Amino acid sequence: MHHDAKSLVRTLAAGLLALSLLLGGFATAQETDCGGYNKPVVFAELDWDSVQVLNHIARFVLEEGFGCATDSIPGSTIPMYRGAARGDIDVVMEVWLDNVPDFWVPAVEAGDVLQLDAVFDDAIQGFYVPRYMVEGDAERGIEATAPDLRSVDDLPQYASLFRDPERPDKGRFYNCIIGWRCEQINNVKLEVYGLTDSFTNFLPGTAVALATSMESAYLRGEPWVGYYWSPTWVLGKLDMIRLEEPTYTDECWDGLEANVDTPENATEACAYPASTAVIALGKSFNDEVSEDIVAFLNAIDTPSAQINKILAHMQETDSSPAEAAMHFLETEPEVWNAWFADADLDPAILERVTAALK
Amino acid sequence: MGNLFTGSFPEGWRVPLREWTNSFVNWLVTNYGDFFRSITDTLLYVLVQVERFLNWLPWWSVVLLIGLLVWHASGKKIAPAVVLAALLVLVGTFELWPQLVTTLAIMVVATSVTVLIGIPIGIAMARSDGLKRWIQPLLDGMQTMPSFVYLVPVVMFFGLGNVAAIFATFIYAVPPVIRLTDLGLRLVDEEVVEAADSFGASERQVLWWVRIPLAVPTIMAGINQTIMMALAMVVVASMIGARGLGQEVLRSLQRGDVGLGLEAGLAIVILAIIMDRVTAGYGRRLDTTEKAV
Repeated sequence: MHHDAKSLVRTLAAGLLALSLLLGGFATAQETDCGGYNKPVVFAELDWDSVQVLNHIARFVLEEGFGCATDSIPGSTIPMYRGAARGDIDVVMEVWLDNVPDFWVPAVEAGDVLQLDAVFDDAIQGFYVPRYMVEGDAERGIEATAPDLRSVDDLPQYASLFRDPERPDKGRFYNCIIGWRCEQINNVKLEVYGLTDSFTNFLPGTAVALATSMESAYLRGEPWVGYYWSPTWVLGKLDMIRLEEPTYTDECWDGLEANVDTPENATEACAYPASTAVIALGKSFNDEVSEDIVAFLNAIDTPSAQINKILAHMQETDSSPAEAAMHFLETEPEVWNAWFADADLDPAILERVTAALK
Repeated sequence: MGNLFTGSFPEGWRVPLREWTNSFVNWLVTNYGDFFRSITDTLLYVLVQVERFLNWLPWWSVVLLIGLLVWHASGKKIAPAVVLAALLVLVGTFELWPQLVTTLAIMVVATSVTVLIGIPIGIAMARSDGLKRWIQPLLDGMQTMPSFVYLVPVVMFFGLGNVAAIFATFIYAVPPVIRLTDLGLRLVDEEVVEAADSFGASERQVLWWVRIPLAVPTIMAGINQTIMMALAMVVVASMIGARGLGQEVLRSLQRGDVGLGLEAGLAIVILAIIMDRVTAGYGRRLDTTEKAV
């Protein structure tokens, strides 16, 4: 299906090219040639917000600064990563290294994909509950239902609050998206923290489903406990508390990872380390495109706090990822100008991008 | 406004359907959340009981029961019953038995709800052309609207999980049974109806003893279609937390595990064949028209 979509895209792009030639706009607009890459640069449009905003930021610079045509194909994680390995996808703006190691590590080792530097390395993952459960919310008239809930150890005594309607004798723990690494890690954690007797391990199918369950519980002022991560708009918008877990250590994590397929044997578990997401390129794209484009993509660096800020603004103003990207480019030039300095690029490229913003 | 002859659509023209919908859904969830919650409780109770019962049965008795059902539905042919029972055991060897049972339970409840609501609507539609004019486009919309569109609001109303999945399945799978019930009743030979009339049958008697029995084969075809469509929703439903085989397909997709995908996919296909054989078989056996002519 990607293939069909791509050939369609190519046909369309060729058509548009012919049209713009006809109209005479071509000669003046395109001083640059996208580093010799004569196809649209295809971005992976993964199904969460931060990556979509990053896509639009990078696409704008590639289009205006380097004269590229760009495109994106929507899909979920593995199909997109596989697309990058096959050459259907050129750029993936976020590959969470902890989440899909079974597929990703061999693909990098085989040279099918090229892994660039981190786009952020301080992402937080953990178990969250709404703040109103612990502290109450006078404004909304919500009383604190779990005033002593601080850490994962306190969860069993409050299990009845989180009642799973499908297994009414247990609480419902919203696990990570089914099939992701974090699902397996959380399975071990539930076992080691002694939560399997009092909670059901509920598997949402998609990132949207997980976010929706949290948001709709929050709107109603109801209890909710589950896994989530930052940077995301959800954690920017909703006031959630991360439950305490044993402090992360390398030994504990090794013990945890050794048991992801046999959670019942695990004896150790602890908090997530800060996670890293990297940018990745398809091999064929990396081979064909010029070095300065790769250097630019490699230099993109947006710490979690930066992305949270963009996403919170996006949610508050109800804008699209494209609009949020433009807002960032317009209001925080010092941040992204620094990427150009890091990549040591021709100043003319930066000038073209800046000019296009006006 | 600019020039009418430029390609771009006038910027100021905007119907804010998106904003209206979002605030309406938020308002419903905030103010009527408990109401939706209470609707689901009965459904959930039935589902939990069905699943508990199927899980309580030893696996071989489920295989045996389904084998017998296929045997009876197919007019006491041995071969299809044995083959399908063997395929069920095959699913067990994929270590997918619990998932199969869960999916079976969801399917039984979802299709029962769909059929129980769909058939009366179909009957009402067959008796009133005015109603048909209203329902027809609604059914068209339900069938063509991409299911992802109503997945999120369904989750906001009913929470993640099996009940939301049943509602989403209902929206997607109810049109065929309504349409074919309507069609079946309308296709009944008017001469037969007149004959019943002339014997002094009341309208209700004509409906129950003449029209519906004669329409049964078409209605069964509708039920069959509905079940097939419900099975097609299994994977989509797992995106909103429905347990069972769909979750395994989704897991395989998100992990790139082709083998797991094939195993779980085959299990769904086998379930589909069984449900198809059973409903199609009974459809044929209840076909009174052949005997009547």
